[in-house]
Amino acid sequence: MLGKRLVGVITVKNGWAVQSFGFGRYLPLGRAEILADNLDRWGADEVLVLCIDRGAAGPDLALLRRMAAKGLSTPLIYGGGIRSVEDAVAVVASGADRIAVDALLRDDPGVVPGIEAALGAQAVIAALPLGVDGDALVSFDYRTRTRAPLAEATLALLRAGSVSEVLAMDHVNDGGAAFDERIVELFPIPSVPLIVFGGLRDPDQIRRVLGRPSVRAAAIGNSLSYGENRIRQLKSKLGALPIRAPSYLRWIDQ
Amino acid sequence: MTSYALGRAHGPAHACRRCLYRTDHPLGLTLDDEGICSGCRVHEEKDRLDWDARWAKLEALVKPYRSRDARTYDCIVPVSGANDSYFIVHVVKERLGLNPLLVTYNKYFNTPLGIRNLANLRIRFDCDILVQNVNPQSVRRITRTALREIGSMYWPCLAGQTVFPVQTAVRFGVPLIVWGAHQGLEQVGMFSHEHEVEMTRRYRYDHDLMAREPADLIGLFDTLAEEDVWQYRYPDDAELASVGVRGIYLGNYVRWDPKAQHEQMMRTHGYETAAFARTFDCYDHVDCYNYMNVHDLLKLYKHGYSKVTDHATREIRHGRLTREEGLALVRRHEQEAVEHLGLFCDWLGVEPNALGFVMDQHRDPRFWSEDEPGRWRFRGWSTMDQPQAAANPAPLRSDPDFTANSRLERDRAHGYIVVGRGYP
Repeated sequence: MLGKRLVGVITVKNGWAVQSFGFGRYLPLGRAEILADNLDRWGADEVLVLCIDRGAAGPDLALLRRMAAKGLSTPLIYGGGIRSVEDAVAVVASGADRIAVDALLRDDPGVVPGIEAALGAQAVIAALPLGVDGDALVSFDYRTRTRAPLAEATLALLRAGSVSEVLAMDHVNDGGAAFDERIVELFPIPSVPLIVFGGLRDPDQIRRVLGRPSVRAAAIGNSLSYGENRIRQLKSKLGALPIRAPSYLRWIDQ
Repeated sequence: MTSYALGRAHGPAHACRRCLYRTDHPLGLTLDDEGICSGCRVHEEKDRLDWDARWAKLEALVKPYRSRDARTYDCIVPVSGANDSYFIVHVVKERLGLNPLLVTYNKYFNTPLGIRNLANLRIRFDCDILVQNVNPQSVRRITRTALREIGSMYWPCLAGQTVFPVQTAVRFGVPLIVWGAHQGLEQVGMFSHEHEVEMTRRYRYDHDLMAREPADLIGLFDTLAEEDVWQYRYPDDAELASVGVRGIYLGNYVRWDPKAQHEQMMRTHGYETAAFARTFDCYDHVDCYNYMNVHDLLKLYKHGYSKVTDHATREIRHGRLTREEGLALVRRHEQEAVEHLGLFCDWLGVEPNALGFVMDQHRDPRFWSEDEPGRWRFRGWSTMDQPQAAANPAPLRSDPDFTANSRLERDRAHGYIVVGRGYP
């Protein structure tokens, strides 16, 4: 069994780390680079920074440089405002290890193979806000607040292997207390590794979803800010899953 | 680098339609589609939550921390001679029935009233107390550096009072720390009460310490050294985990209303209060000569608003002031002259004009313009166009007045009591 990961998510709006609820309500948290620094110290396996209001402003390279200045050792995924191959390359040059694309998949999916060519598919993640209507998986467009079946262009990119993983975001339960596991069951291409996100808070559910073969990682946002060393606490409750120990435990073991 | 550049949000700032905060609040603030801020929305929970049920959750939470043999403390409670200390100890000791160890960090700017309030606190509640006195020479050096680097003369106070309880928890093996309200929740709605947020090192670093850990203050071109700042270092994760340290906030479980709580403590436990020129609230910060003076002026320089805006916003949310009344109070108080500046200059060993020069470096150009050398024009929050006020769902209250029943000097001479031996 491949290793499983806990990903700490930092949602950024108007330059400020926020809690996000249902892709529509936000509470302020603080400086994104300090949240990243904290997750790094706690032993998160990966940090995902999602700048949700970049649009035409392009990626927040200044934020990435502030994060890079922290000297983080945790791999960093960045998403937000990536519109072109050049943007994607600039994001990686500014300190991100991988990128996540979302609006680009709708607006200009033809750019994605170019990004794959420049960075390699292992560095590209498709971020998909998803939900379930009846017994069908649907995609959520947060700009128009409408739901529709997954676009064929997106599915073609997944089948072609242009992205290495899908960030499956449960938009209904974003900021809530439970992830809708039907999203995993209904995902149309089982061979694509998933990072699941949205409502993951309960250790029992996190352990259960990480136990699914297609789920490579669990991404957690808001609730990591509710107390001290939440990554360590979660990892201690994940039982026998193949997961990295939190950082200071590794120091003690050595 | 001046502090206004840290964490500055992108884009133009907007004002809340209910309270007096704006989206360039240093703790961060969001507005919803109705123009109501995150702080006001979270405040609405105070009149919606079942506080009896939340109290029951608190009782269940603290139950495992009760000492079985009464040979150690049940918890640690950080206190001072002001703020919400009386009410916190009242809840912990008299309502929850816990045996707390009180801890206090000596900020050296103590008023006689604060020393008296602190002595009365430990006597009336019959508690043990630990006082941390950091070497004053180091505190002076840090204060000079923090003033110059981040425009804060209060960094050592904030760092000390947020870390000494945690260090004590580790040292004594008492895992539970009980704080009053969470500042980020109360002011800007950083969390819902139902998130039951707990103390974190990240919040302290990000907000209390203004993104400066102790080591960050040591620079190549400064005289500050490790031996000056080590007392302010947070215990590491392994130490915290070995004791199981956690810090909880009573405000998540008790409907938090500082004015009502202070007045209760004045009636029942002898808490004494004093008036300030720069705000209408006589209850907070009476233990310190500087918090409502030079520290408050720096806040106005850096952020375009001062403590009276925090006080007015809190009272608007509680329904004791309208937005218009609150704004009038802010405009009346925020430009009042700073008092006790001579005490601070003497303590720090600087001339007033030198201090003024350093402080001027931290005026944020968004809020201040220098029309001619030494003549500054204020363009802060209270001078800006105000939005159309929104309806306030808080029940209208008829008790807006604050009462000062003492004064900062009380019955002693004007001056810092750097080490208080108790009272009388």
